[in-house]
Amino acid sequence: MMRAHDIRYLVSEGFRNTWHNRFMALASIGVLICCLLLTSFAYLVFVNIDSLFQNAYEQNVVAVYLDTELDETAVTAVGERLKTTTNVAKVEFISKQDYLDRFKEEMGEAAIEGLMEENPLQDTYIVSLKDLEKFDATLATIEAMDGVEDISYDGDIAETLTRVRSMVLGIGGAIIVVLLAVSLFIISNTIKLTVYSRRLEIYIMKSVGATDSFVRFPFIVEGVILGFVAGAVGYGLLWLLYSQLVRSFAGGILWSLVPFAEVWGRLLIGFMVGGIFVGVCGSAISMRRYLKQEGSLRI
Amino acid sequence: MIEFQSVYKTYNSGSHALNDVNLHIDDGEFAFIVGASGAGKSTFLKLIMREETPTSGEVIVNNYRLSRLKRKQVPYFRRTMGIVFQDFRLIDTMTVYENVAFSMRVVGKSRREIRRRVPYVLQLVDLHGKSGRYPKELSGGEQQRVGLARALVNNPSLIIADEPTGNVDPQMSHDIVELLTQINKNGTTVLMVTHEHELVHQFDHRVITLKDGQIVSDTGRHTPVAAQVGGESV
Repeated sequence: MMRAHDIRYLVSEGFRNTWHNRFMALASIGVLICCLLLTSFAYLVFVNIDSLFQNAYEQNVVAVYLDTELDETAVTAVGERLKTTTNVAKVEFISKQDYLDRFKEEMGEAAIEGLMEENPLQDTYIVSLKDLEKFDATLATIEAMDGVEDISYDGDIAETLTRVRSMVLGIGGAIIVVLLAVSLFIISNTIKLTVYSRRLEIYIMKSVGATDSFVRFPFIVEGVILGFVAGAVGYGLLWLLYSQLVRSFAGGILWSLVPFAEVWGRLLIGFMVGGIFVGVCGSAISMRRYLKQEGSLRI
Repeated sequence: MIEFQSVYKTYNSGSHALNDVNLHIDDGEFAFIVGASGAGKSTFLKLIMREETPTSGEVIVNNYRLSRLKRKQVPYFRRTMGIVFQDFRLIDTMTVYENVAFSMRVVGKSRREIRRRVPYVLQLVDLHGKSGRYPKELSGGEQQRVGLARALVNNPSLIIADEPTGNVDPQMSHDIVELLTQINKNGTTVLMVTHEHELVHQFDHRVITLKDGQIVSDTGRHTPVAAQVGGESV
């Protein structure tokens, strides 16, 4: 059983040990910061590519041309049916009269004089879709509707975007997982060096009857301290670097980066949780061997 | 109390460290374990500390039947004994006071108890004036007395000293054994491993001689009352 005075002592031991091994602690923190920055950059690249696609998606719409024979009620009915179709985000109606008015505006009255009596244009619904992955299925449903004569869309773009997006998601995820594993490995090896120099301490603790959790606790505290400092400093650095990057992209014509304000919360949680998790695991992994081993009488 | 019942210990490498060792050491005894290197002294101590378990036979220490001891119980068993090491095993980054207090913290003693007990024990080993020093600032003999204070501080019923005088000059060696003798007079069982026959001869304690993993001689129990300097030989 651990009592309050034990825990207070063990926490202060954790701080004392970190301070005593401050050079190794700095090395661990540096490594951890690099790993966190790399991981978060991989994440930000993904977020930005994703937001780029999101913009492209929003512009991707399908034009549904109706049968010229349909009367007004039938046209409204098709509109209602479109609205209730799954995966449809927005339906906008453009009547043949609207088209005519646009023509008139753009080309002048004389150009459309002949069209006034018999309007050859078609009533049109502009439909935006929610999920482009179901693009083909939704299109088939719409095409099969009564009163729909034709539809026009840019299907290839949708398909390509969907494919690239899932590819980016996969690659980004894999990079993040690999980077986390690498940082765990490096951290546990860095900490292992400090644990090695303290194996004597561990043996002494065990020889006077310390329980495993008593021996482990200060090392865990140390892991938390390393992770916390690395997370906080790394987060600050990322903030500075990324804000600078956003600013330099701001004047560009192509696209602008996702502002830091949109991702700060997720990144902060990621840095703190990631840092502390890696710190604690690294600490626990690297000392396990010495905890199991009995300190022989003569080292 | 320490009891060995037909204890054999064979290491994976095939070396037979102990062969059929039977032994009984009562509470309150002082016993030297002597023997050349390789005689099995280390294995003998490791079995008592439960760092190793016998290949066959049974070891009973302070009423713990060690073959049945679970890993989780080992720390609690260890708290019944104090261990003094040849290489002192002090923590360099802690002061003399902290090194001794450390042993009490490990077993969950309160700060008040620690503040009361540590100065007392340091006085006992005559290091009261050096509680703020670091181990590296002390002589070998002084460091070993810190080790002794650490072993004593939790008031164990058994003190195990593994070559405690191996890194200490002869005069200081005598003082350390004298100190152990005093501790023994207060009722603590003392078991001291050494290869210094000269030192053993200066005291009148039980002497158990190990050779090739077997007990080749045992002077038997000596009552502390009969102890006098310059006593029997091995």
